[in-house]
Amino acid sequence: MSLLKVERVHKSYNGLQVLKNVSLDVQAGERHVLIGPNGAGKTTLFHCMTGTLPIDEGVVTVNGRQISGLPPYTAVRVGMARTFQKNNLFDNLTVEENLHLAIAACKPYRFHFFKPFYKYTDLLEEAEQLLKQWDLWERRACVVNQLSYGEQRLLELLLALASKPRLLLLDEPTSGMSPAETAQTTRLMQSMPRSITLLVIEHDMDVVFSIADRITVLHHGEVFLSGAPEEIRGDERVKEIYFGGGAPLYAEA
Amino acid sequence: MKKETVALHVAFVAATMLLPLILTSYGLKLTSEVLIIAMFVMSLGLIIGFAGLVSLGHAAFFGIGAYTVALISEHVDNTWLLLIAAVVTAGIVAFLSGLMFIRSSGAYFLMITLAFGQMLYAIAYKMEGVTGGADGKAVSESFNLGFGAIESRLAFYYVAAAAFLACYYLLRVFLSSPLGKGVRGIKENESRMTALGYNTHLYKLTVYSLSGMMAGFAGALYAYFNQYISPDLLHWMFSGQALIMVIVGGVGTLLGPAIGAGFFVILQNYISSYTERWPIIMGLLFVCLVLYGRGGVIHLASLVWSHLQSKRRTGREKSVLPKEGSGFESLKG
Repeated sequence: MSLLKVERVHKSYNGLQVLKNVSLDVQAGERHVLIGPNGAGKTTLFHCMTGTLPIDEGVVTVNGRQISGLPPYTAVRVGMARTFQKNNLFDNLTVEENLHLAIAACKPYRFHFFKPFYKYTDLLEEAEQLLKQWDLWERRACVVNQLSYGEQRLLELLLALASKPRLLLLDEPTSGMSPAETAQTTRLMQSMPRSITLLVIEHDMDVVFSIADRITVLHHGEVFLSGAPEEIRGDERVKEIYFGGGAPLYAEA
Repeated sequence: MKKETVALHVAFVAATMLLPLILTSYGLKLTSEVLIIAMFVMSLGLIIGFAGLVSLGHAAFFGIGAYTVALISEHVDNTWLLLIAAVVTAGIVAFLSGLMFIRSSGAYFLMITLAFGQMLYAIAYKMEGVTGGADGKAVSESFNLGFGAIESRLAFYYVAAAAFLACYYLLRVFLSSPLGKGVRGIKENESRMTALGYNTHLYKLTVYSLSGMMAGFAGALYAYFNQYISPDLLHWMFSGQALIMVIVGGVGTLLGPAIGAGFFVILQNYISSYTERWPIIMGLLFVCLVLYGRGGVIHLASLVWSHLQSKRRTGREKSVLPKEGSGFESLKG
């Protein structure tokens, strides 16, 4: 059963066509990885799927419900959550406060205004559980801008997980991480239950091949190839896109 | 809540209630005015410091509250009804204008609120038949909540003090609620709030409307207090003064703007009794405050407080570092 369906999506910025007729089908439970050189339109595709950017043409459906054309905050309501390529956190709040905001976003009482936050015990317990599970419990009272980069990256992921998504979009979860942190994040992605479907943008090929069920290659805003990891690994044209030939050499940072 | 915090709040309320014991009749009047202006400035501080919406037209809502009382009191004399009418009118205008304004931010929001405020000012100025034009209107109706007319300065002081305390504690509850936390989150990082599933426009609109209602309430009380209203209450100069009070008092705190209002009004009164050129002195003072007292008066006060605290503590524990979040800090909200 396909959970996320992207059909014939077009997107251009001021006449520059960034996405051309992109179609993507992500099955429930799948670990789908999106690769492609810089400027291929991967992050733009994420923005278009979550509604952060309006799309010019095409349809995006999650679990049969059309979400393209709806305001971005509705993405979470259909079970879709995302992380950002650059850490996008509440820098002046503590780890715990960050998480509280993320959890409260999906609670029916998010709009209540007469009871202090700390009296919603279910919220506090949920946050405690998540923080303990993810080894951030010790750091809960730290303000985000005092955390190490790796910890911030982890929190970025945690905020997305707080909404209990069925579909998680991860935009370069390991970018800027040390090898050890990358390995840890890879293990985290591998250990996520299959009830969460992953769509990941990733550049590190070791990470890509250790998590992917399916890989889609995006090139110049078009889907170049989509298939099982073995197919992609063996494909000469994909190597060419990444390391020369079709794309300029400096494309890969 | 910690025992120390509770004690501090009890002291805060008691001090407000006992203040008349040491005030002269003129002091009572001045303090009442400060409290009313403080409510207005607190409502502005709410949207500036907690939602990041810097408005230069907030006097519009204060003026709407005052004009509502002045105009309707010619036909209705029930104080409750008039207060409610003022709050509701200001709230509706804030909601409708917010629907349009909230989409902009930063300098654009500042300009559009300024234009809106000036538009209302022009209306009040030009519609002489209804508003009395530049002459304004006298408010002869006395303040009566059903316990007899409140006419003495002392009685009105208690009305203002009760209203101020009610507003302050309502805002405290609001800011600690899920909705209030959401508003703070939006100021911190709006794009992340959207990604988390918050309808940020709705949050901003709610807090803007709430702020407008509170400003309207303060304006209504002011109409009773001053017994006279004029288009100046809607003018951008008044909005600008309120903005200065917020900044001087301390942006991002609840009590800061109120302290800023007291600082401004009392200083203005004091200095203008000596010289006609009081704006020069006030201006220099504010320049110094902004240069050397980042965070405003409340920040300076809490620095002094924590310094005293650490002095008291050094005898026992030898800890020299001022400790954040204790004592005075908790009142800032």
